[in-house]
Amino acid sequence: MLSIKKLKAKIDNKDILKGLNLEIKPGEVHALMGPNGSGKSTLSNVLSGKKGYNISGEIIFEDKNLLELEIEERAHKGIFLAFQYPLEIPGVNTNIFLKTSLNAIKKSRGEKELDAIEFLKLIKQKTKELKFDDKILSRQLNVGFSGGEKKKNEILQMSILNPKLSILDETDSGLDIDALKIVSEGVNALRNKKSSFLIITHYQRLLNYIKPDFVHVLINGKIVKSGGPELAVELEKKGYESFN
Amino acid sequence: MSDQIKIDFDKVIKNSNLTEKNVEIRKEYFNEFIKKGFPNKRVEEWKFSDLNQIISANIKDLSFFNDLSVRTSFDKSIILKNFDHNKIIFLNGIILKIDFDYEEKNKIEIIQNDDFEKINETHNPLINLNGAFRNSFLKLKIKEGYFVNKPLIIYHITDKEISQKNINQKIDIILENNSSLKVLNIFSDTSKNNFINIFQQFKLGKDSILKNYKIDFDMNSNIRYFYDNIDLDRNSLSENFILSAGSKFIKNEINCNLKEEYSSAFINGIINLRETQHHEIKTNINHLAPNTKSYQLIKNVLNDNSKGVYQGKIFVDSKAQKTDGYQLSKAILLSENSEFNAKPELEIYADDVKCSHGSTSGNLDENAIFYLMSRGLSKRNANKLLINGFLIDVVEKITDVEIKRLILELIGANE
Repeated sequence: MLSIKKLKAKIDNKDILKGLNLEIKPGEVHALMGPNGSGKSTLSNVLSGKKGYNISGEIIFEDKNLLELEIEERAHKGIFLAFQYPLEIPGVNTNIFLKTSLNAIKKSRGEKELDAIEFLKLIKQKTKELKFDDKILSRQLNVGFSGGEKKKNEILQMSILNPKLSILDETDSGLDIDALKIVSEGVNALRNKKSSFLIITHYQRLLNYIKPDFVHVLINGKIVKSGGPELAVELEKKGYESFN
Repeated sequence: MSDQIKIDFDKVIKNSNLTEKNVEIRKEYFNEFIKKGFPNKRVEEWKFSDLNQIISANIKDLSFFNDLSVRTSFDKSIILKNFDHNKIIFLNGIILKIDFDYEEKNKIEIIQNDDFEKINETHNPLINLNGAFRNSFLKLKIKEGYFVNKPLIIYHITDKEISQKNINQKIDIILENNSSLKVLNIFSDTSKNNFINIFQQFKLGKDSILKNYKIDFDMNSNIRYFYDNIDLDRNSLSENFILSAGSKFIKNEINCNLKEEYSSAFINGIINLRETQHHEIKTNINHLAPNTKSYQLIKNVLNDNSKGVYQGKIFVDSKAQKTDGYQLSKAILLSENSEFNAKPELEIYADDVKCSHGSTSGNLDENAIFYLMSRGLSKRNANKLLINGFLIDVVEKITDVEIKRLILELIGANE
């Protein structure tokens, strides 16, 4: 599904990613762990198409060269980034935003767009499944949301858009244990044979709730070690120092 | 000032049915105007909008005399459908229709003969120009205790019959005690390169409510000055909203005199421009009595080579203790060549007041655009959503639900 080869990324002439390789197959959950400044967020930005990076190497997503696609085209193809810091967008109603987003993606795939009533049904069902308070939907997008509400909103968007590859950028940071459980349950509910996940995190904590198939250690712009879930436990014990 | 204006003025005097007294007043206005001419940027109030230069750059041969023959045909599709309203229709500056179908007839007095008193406004040359040349004059009186049922829409229609003309209109509206009125001014132009000068004077009696809205939405090449003077008596309220987006140039100037206690003025506006449009909103809020309140919120979205200006003045008289005055202007510059000028002015002579002002300008947030695009929105739609989000809180200030809906539809934010 996703194949990253020799990926290098620079910003302001500073090398961040220095030849990263990663292969994700349909249905797999990969965890990417690493210390601050190792390039985790840069990887998620590069995958979702954020401008400003000088990039070399190759990213193939479902036989397409991802680097040639615009930000929104990547979303249309099924890539979703759950932001570490979801943005507050004043004046934009959350419900309207969600509907606009879903219909933009449906339209790009030649599917029928949802009308107001169909959308309302879908959103009711999703918020119920995810045990989210649907009051936030009538508020301005992320404006005045607590950290937990913002992250839950990201998971709700993920669940509505039903992406093929979801990238969770430190979704666990800033969450209390109850919010963490709800968010994890949301992710687990979306796991199936077709959809894959790349979970970026500092801590092993999240991985107690979302069991990864593979764990990778990212240090200084490169994956230095890959393994199974046991690698996360080892990391938690020894810290990143031992991999330097 | 060219000879043309003098020739045209003589024509006005000869061809109009004016009383002797009226001719005298017009001459006074004319002489006052001739002394100063069109204001230029050396005049402080016009420093960001040099009207003299703007007129000469856009209108080759400006003429001031208008043939007063009344026409009856105009494009009826301009009249709003599915929206019950009273109407006054100006066609090329001439009153074509006055229609208060939804109201009790004896509650609204309509006066059309031009027998006015000279007002003490000689410092403003455009008021003098208006006094000397006005093509139409109209005075409405809303009787004590009467709440006008439906909004009054004043249509300002111009068509291809006029070009390079100066048109002057004056409307006086008196709200007697405890009355209320909603007015919506709408422009519709197929004419080109005219200078249109409108002077509205409101007198609000005790406990009266005026909602005064303006829509300049369709792109046109006309130059406009629209001056409102609003005098407020005890516990009266004036709510003003301006959607400023259509004309090549327009300066909306609102002068509010909060003359008695508990009167309040609200001025909210949107300036949304492209190409080489240049719009200004200028306000003077005069707090002249204790416990008066004013609130202003102006937002600008500036594309291409356009220019937005907001000059907001709050004056607080030494008598006006417990004044509450607020103003904020914000601008989004969507192009390197667009420009926003803000000049807030506070002049305060009382010591127990609450007054604040602020102004910001910047670009759309790139990270917000990235966020929206990562959810499948095109760049265009992401921008549109952010711009509507930026403007929505100004529109939300409109307290009339129907007119709010109309304006949301116009700016495409009603989904």
